[in-house]
Amino acid sequence: MRPAILAGVVVIQALAAAFFLGDVAADLAVGARDAHSLIEAGVTLALALGIVFGAVELARTIQALRSQEAALRAAAGALGEVITEAFRDWRLTPAEADVALFALKGLDVADIAGLRGAAAGTVRAQLASIYAKAGVSGRAQFAALFVEDLLALLPAAAPPAS
Amino acid sequence: MSAPAAPGPEVPEGGPPALWDPIVRLTHWGIAAAVLLNATVTAESDTLHLWIGYVAGALLVLRLVWGLVGPPEARFGAFPPSPRRALAHLADLLGGRPKAYPSHNPAGALMVYALWATLAVLVLTGIALAPDGPGGTADRNAAFGRGEWSVVLEGGARLGERDEEMVEDVHETAANLLLILAALHVAGVVVESRGMRRNLLRPMLLGARGRAR
Repeated sequence: MRPAILAGVVVIQALAAAFFLGDVAADLAVGARDAHSLIEAGVTLALALGIVFGAVELARTIQALRSQEAALRAAAGALGEVITEAFRDWRLTPAEADVALFALKGLDVADIAGLRGAAAGTVRAQLASIYAKAGVSGRAQFAALFVEDLLALLPAAAPPAS
Repeated sequence: MSAPAAPGPEVPEGGPPALWDPIVRLTHWGIAAAVLLNATVTAESDTLHLWIGYVAGALLVLRLVWGLVGPPEARFGAFPPSPRRALAHLADLLGGRPKAYPSHNPAGALMVYALWATLAVLVLTGIALAPDGPGGTADRNAAFGRGEWSVVLEGGARLGERDEEMVEDVHETAANLLLILAALHVAGVVVESRGMRRNLLRPMLLGARGRAR
């Protein structure tokens, strides 16, 4: 959003510079060299310089936002690895791993059952098995295992203790 | 088991950006509007025609500055003009296997430079034809309207009559050429979008989700 606003300002400045240029050109073309036209020419020049610096600043902002996004994607990918590794450590079956991932994403038993085409009872049993293998008492604690990793900003570090 | 999906669809690998930066988009549509307005709506020698010409010139200069300082895909270095590579790209396109390029494809790049060069000629000849600028021309038109007809002899064209005619011819030719190039450009976008199975218009508007970033 911010780059869009900055860009709008830069474009408006460019149009303003064009306006001044159109005005100054008229004066200078008829040979006017009085203080007013010279100041106006100076202002136009300053505006043009401002536009260039604004453009450089805008380009930096865009690049910074992009690298932030890239970092975020990398972190999300790293978290995914941590989760995958943890599931392997706990020896979750493929079906349990699927259910566990859905649970982490905040889906409730009915949703998971619907997505997997399984009975709610089956999903409930799988969740119980997952919590037992992970050594936690329930969903909140289960999710907390990974939130802790995120908070510690150790994306690819040690797998969560079981 | 699958890792959580990365958030949001991003720049497709190797392809043009999913969304052009705001300066590229604003200058693109601003210039498009200015060219269409001056070609169809405003009369030549109209003050408005001159102002719109200045606007187009300002947007062009801004885009050229952006070509030096902007993000990588907007810089000149990302789409060098190369007729040889443009032909190779068109051959790929005809063969049904166009490659993806991180910025404009080589054929599109040639079109970009052709459009810019033609627009530059158009703006410069326009300024040469009305050296007083929109302000001076407006003043003169007003004076003329008040009956001070001598202004016609004083201000305005500082070119000789023959030169002025020549510059006028160049201005008109450039204008027609620009419209032809713009039509080719639109056709090119349609053909490339089909060939690459990728909507090339959307990144110039608001991106994949209609969401400005």
